[in-house]
Amino acid sequence: MSNSNHNAGADILLDIRGLKTYFHLDEGTVRAVDGVDFTVPRGTTIGIVGESGCGKSVTAFSILQLVEKPGRIEEGSIVLNTGGQNRVDIAALDHDSEELRQIRGKDIGMIFQEPMTSLSMMYTVGFQMTEAIRLHMDVEKDEARDRAIEMLQAVGIPRPEQRFDAYPFELSGGMRQRVMIAMALSCDPMLLIADEPTTALDVTTQAQILELMQQLQEEFGMAIMLITHDLGVVAEMCSEVVVMYLGEVVEQADVDTIFHNPQHPYTQALLESIPRLGHSHEGRLNPILGSVPDPYHRPSGCPFHPRCTQIITGRCETVHPEISRLDPRHTVRCLLHEDPHG
Amino acid sequence: MADTATPSAPAAGKEPLLRVEDLRKYFPIRQGFFGRSVTQVRAVDGVTFDVFPGETMAVVGESGCGKTTAGRCLVRAFEPTGGSILYRNRDGDEVALDTLDNKSLKPVRRELRMIFQDPFSSLNPRMTVMDIIGDPLRVHSIASGSELEDRVADMLLRVGLRPEYMRRYPHAFSGGQRQRIGIAKALILSPQLVVADEAVSALDVSVQAQILNLLQDLQAEFDLTYVFIAHDLSVVEYIANRVSVMYVGKMVETAATDELYHNPKHPYTEALLSAVPRPDPRERSQRIVLEGDVPDPAHPPSGCYFHPRCRYAQDMCATETPELRPIGEGHEVACHLAEDLDLRGITDLVPRD
Ligand SMILES: Nc1ncnc2c1ncn2[C@@H]1O[C@H](COP(=O)(O)OP(=O)(O)OP(=O)(O)O)[C@@H](O)[C@H]1O
Ligand SMILES: Nc1ncnc2c1ncn2[C@@H]1O[C@H](COP(=O)(O)OP(=O)(O)OP(=O)(O)O)[C@@H](O)[C@H]1O
Ligand code: SF4
Ligand code: SF4
Ligand SMILES: [Mg+2]
Ligand SMILES: [Mg+2]
Repeated sequence: MSNSNHNAGADILLDIRGLKTYFHLDEGTVRAVDGVDFTVPRGTTIGIVGESGCGKSVTAFSILQLVEKPGRIEEGSIVLNTGGQNRVDIAALDHDSEELRQIRGKDIGMIFQEPMTSLSMMYTVGFQMTEAIRLHMDVEKDEARDRAIEMLQAVGIPRPEQRFDAYPFELSGGMRQRVMIAMALSCDPMLLIADEPTTALDVTTQAQILELMQQLQEEFGMAIMLITHDLGVVAEMCSEVVVMYLGEVVEQADVDTIFHNPQHPYTQALLESIPRLGHSHEGRLNPILGSVPDPYHRPSGCPFHPRCTQIITGRCETVHPEISRLDPRHTVRCLLHEDPHG
Repeated sequence: MADTATPSAPAAGKEPLLRVEDLRKYFPIRQGFFGRSVTQVRAVDGVTFDVFPGETMAVVGESGCGKTTAGRCLVRAFEPTGGSILYRNRDGDEVALDTLDNKSLKPVRRELRMIFQDPFSSLNPRMTVMDIIGDPLRVHSIASGSELEDRVADMLLRVGLRPEYMRRYPHAFSGGQRQRIGIAKALILSPQLVVADEAVSALDVSVQAQILNLLQDLQAEFDLTYVFIAHDLSVVEYIANRVSVMYVGKMVETAATDELYHNPKHPYTEALLSAVPRPDPRERSQRIVLEGDVPDPAHPPSGCYFHPRCRYAQDMCATETPELRPIGEGHEVACHLAEDLDLRGITDLVPRD
């Protein structure tokens, strides 16, 4: 895990800086992602957490330039380092350029939150997989078929030769999720973006999928960006965690620090609100005050101030906190931790 | 929280409020060429449990195991295919819910209410919040006009919503607020028993905590008994006094919450507990990964339904169906080897440092 040092540029696969993605609607502008910075070290799993609507999915879509109108990347860079001096700023590419098409699905695979976004009910699993493979790899139909079956096997689908000809509606939820993982992995991506990959599944099916993702990471060495609001999944899977609130990163640290020494009041409140197995006798649950503000009425100052129990009255309502670096791997955006060196 | 600290307390010395025995609900489905052959989905296939007054009885299990179907039978939204449901009404009489006709059911329906699984689709988008919550009062001719309005306003306050919002439509509310509306609708008739079907599953963690606290407050305030259907075992541990585990339409284990979590006796319960991700990187658990998928209830396996996935299965498990049987201290289990196995509960699954 030492390769997540922020200065060790060579180990960084993806470097996101100052990313802003807004939706311009009649009712106003939704600042879905409003100045996000984080890095994804090669070969590790990084978790993105936060309440519904905080901008997790829009961040993921931005990385692939798949944000739909009226949404737009306004600012920032998304630098992908595919090895050596091979750096490309995805944010600067044209959204339907050949270069971007090669990145999507080849360098970066994605499992979408809505399974139906990436699986069509009209075509067989095999057809969809071979199409995706042939888009990125210079292979004949037969070879693509072999590759697809091999991937279906790798994700633990029984009788893959037969499932190759099945339609998605003939598969169970857990199997469909595996097919999506197989598709996302079929071109050996360096980064897998998994947006709530197990949220719709049972704990036992979830356990199968998580185990599978860990195995495949060991085998292929890819990095995983795991988006979820399930803190249990994050604790089990991730080495680093990014906590988002209203389109901003409020805290980032290694997983142990996030769970045992969180510094942002939002991270602390989030952790206190969840029921924990084996701790049910320790009193009532402690919900976060109030609820997430609606996106058109963003609070002034620190966006968390209306819900914060540690608010510095007179300052937090007006001053927007900058990011402070508490140690090389731990950053936090809160006035309680203002960086004395600015 | 004293109530969850002593899980068996509400049961002690009291008559059950609900006695469910061998409950079954089959759905006919058409299969084959032109849908000519008819088979049955055994959605609920022999479920037995008691619910005591004032307790929270949880029903857990994987998706499709029959939890919702069982819950709907309890409030008689479904007519059971077989088995019996005996309910002790407010007057203290025991009535057989499974055989009552519609007319005799009506007064009982006031006492048995359900909170539905999905806060987004269970509220009629064309009705105002007042109409949604007030509707049961009208249907049962309990209140109308300004009295109805007052009662709705009062109920909204109880569930933490502002009465001014009464004339709004459901789309103007967040998921958590909609779930509160669903709760208000279920409680407006002052029921005895509430079946809460995945009442918090669709909610964000922070909102989930608010709703769980609310359900506990309302239970104390109105003397409610809950049947709490859920698949999240951390939530269940927090709210339930006793827990029943379902697998493919059958009850496989029932026990007091602490007992079930620390001393499970069914291999499926052990696997379920091991699969719950712990929100603590220092407690990365040793999950037991089950092979294969949940069986199709239209074509369940022979013998013990769990045998194709059970790591402890013996030859007899493929042929003989284990019955749910008591093994002491209110603990019931349906496994041939219950006494011989040394299964891991939540304490053993977490490596101690
Ligand atoms: N197509 C769109 N048009 C308008 N607003 C949008 C659109 N997509 C997302 N948003 C808004 O952007 C914000 C961030 O949304 P996003 O989907 O990234 O949230 P999320 O963190 O993924 O939440 P969840 O946990 O519910 O998936 C929200 O306020 C959302 O309403
Ligand atoms: N009206 C129906 N007709 C036919 N089959 C049905 C019907 N309702 C439910 N089923 C089937 O019965 C089984 C049990 O369904 P049920 O909804 O009770 O499961 P559940 O445990 O509540 O699952 P979940 O956790 O996904 O809500 C499933 O196989 C389902 O497909
Ligand atoms: S800046 Fe102020 S309001 Fe915001 S999280 Fe820190 S203490 Fe709370
Ligand atoms: S009866 Fe046999 S197959 Fe069923 S749970 Fe017990 S040991 Fe496993
Ligand atoms: Mg999302
Ligand atoms: Mg259900």
